[in-house]
Amino acid sequence: MGKVLMKGNEAIGEAAIRAGCLNYFAYPITPQSEVAEYLSRRLPEAGGVFLQGESEVAVSYMIFGAAAAGARIFTTSSSPGISLMCEGISYIAAAQCPAVFVNIMRGGPGLGGILPSQADYFQATKGGGHGDYRMLVMAPASVQEAVEMVMTAFPLAEKYRNPVMILGDGLIGQMMEPVEFPDDLRSEPSNKDDWATNGMDTRRSDKRNLVKSLFLDPDQLNRNNLALKAKYDRMNREEVRYETYHMDLDYRVLIVSYGTMSRVCRTAIDNLAEEGIDVGMIRPQTLFPFPVQQVHDAAQKQSCVHVASIEMSMGQMVEDVQRALQGVKPVSWYGKCGGDVPTPEEIMEFVRTLL
Amino acid sequence: MTPDLKGIVIIVGNYGSGKTEVAINLAVASHAEGVAGVRIADLDLVNPYFRTREARHQLHRLGIDVVLPPEKYLHADLPILSPDVAGMIKQPGPLNILDVGGDHVGANVLAAVADAFGDKPPQMLQVVNPYRPFTETVAGCMKIRREIEAAAKLDMTGIVGNANLIDETDVNVIYEGHRFVQRFSRESGLPVAFVTADVGLMTDLDPDRLACPVLPIRRQLVPPWGRSANLAAG
Repeated sequence: MGKVLMKGNEAIGEAAIRAGCLNYFAYPITPQSEVAEYLSRRLPEAGGVFLQGESEVAVSYMIFGAAAAGARIFTTSSSPGISLMCEGISYIAAAQCPAVFVNIMRGGPGLGGILPSQADYFQATKGGGHGDYRMLVMAPASVQEAVEMVMTAFPLAEKYRNPVMILGDGLIGQMMEPVEFPDDLRSEPSNKDDWATNGMDTRRSDKRNLVKSLFLDPDQLNRNNLALKAKYDRMNREEVRYETYHMDLDYRVLIVSYGTMSRVCRTAIDNLAEEGIDVGMIRPQTLFPFPVQQVHDAAQKQSCVHVASIEMSMGQMVEDVQRALQGVKPVSWYGKCGGDVPTPEEIMEFVRTLL
Repeated sequence: MTPDLKGIVIIVGNYGSGKTEVAINLAVASHAEGVAGVRIADLDLVNPYFRTREARHQLHRLGIDVVLPPEKYLHADLPILSPDVAGMIKQPGPLNILDVGGDHVGANVLAAVADAFGDKPPQMLQVVNPYRPFTETVAGCMKIRREIEAAAKLDMTGIVGNANLIDETDVNVIYEGHRFVQRFSRESGLPVAFVTADVGLMTDLDPDRLACPVLPIRRQLVPPWGRSANLAAG
């Protein structure tokens, strides 16, 4: 199959099918409704099931049920819809079921607006729902990367038996770029027989599998939380992904930026280089686990006098950047969160003020 | 050879086929060819981003009339239709371009203004990019044609070939796309009104290989790290 021109939302839908996920439950919301639109056409062709729930709360528990039964499952929504799903996500994490959630972020809080945003960083990486759980969070910067991350998300969710989130801003969902898909289905075998309630006859086992999130015995609850913590510690050790830009130069400013915001930063960095101002960038591809060590090490470079977190929010990722730096270099935040994406010129102006 | 169109021209097609770029650039090319009084109306009630309204300032500066909902509703969660559209259809200028939202869902809006057309059926052009999902086959294009005609309660009158992979488009993509719309034309009986090509590819294109007019595209709907092309150039 050659290249095709796709909206991010359509490509995310197609990528899920290519990853062997034939179950999709969702509720429409701008700016991600094209995933549902696309899959309502494509899933029946592929032999799959698309079900629209009566609300995002309902969808999150439909996902829980399907995941507990061992089905490969995902959903997509946008910020207010994800807020409604957070309760179900907490239950799914507690019960150690794999599922993939895609958030195509719009402006908030509240109903906010329909334009792009990155203001759900805290919600995705620090909780959202209640209790001691984490999601593995990946942030694509292009439509092609969204495809690759969706295809990676399913095996990761199954490896850790934990929800995985793809965190894209509205632009990732709405913009069109040429993309390529692998010809073959990349459907890895699932480990579901070890834990899913898929029937003892089906898996030819005499062992009962039990999926639950209620642990009234304090020792049992503590043990469950320790098991979850061990998984999140392992993610921190093994799953950090990031990309660098201009890091071989003697950069004076280090930018940390993710998603489509990082592409605006690239243009600003190229323009600043022409002015003789060298700037480097780390783009976290995983937001949890955050590349703590990598950002810390990059800031240690002798030439680097300042670190800037540039985001389409009022300063959320900047807290992880500060945590990574432990005070070794000054950190600033720059961003906007009304729907207008900061321009390359605005970023250049901000970087100049740091020098 | 640029397209020569007059009266009311409705631009329809499947979601993401490139209707808005075609509509904007058709307005600009016709204006440059000396058509006095080009008007363009944004009827896209489907797409939340990347709409005709993004080019409104450049179009206004060129003297092209843009019919839009009031400014304060431009980013409404539920897009609205300006009542000025019916007025434009009832009293058309020399060239009136209607940029309609994608698929039959987007074309539903045409049934709402159907009365305004009276007994003069307008031209309705189906934009086709064979590199998009659901229109990579002639059968797919025929299905979308039927669905749009049923929703709009109007007949399709022509095809616009808009083959492209945005930044990765080369002349072979244009030639392939041209062959594709010729096949669609043969099977549907609809004429090919024109094909498009990015303005940067125009000098490399062999006009003898294209049996129809070519509309140069100066891309307007770009992400924030890109820059839209100057519509006044050339």
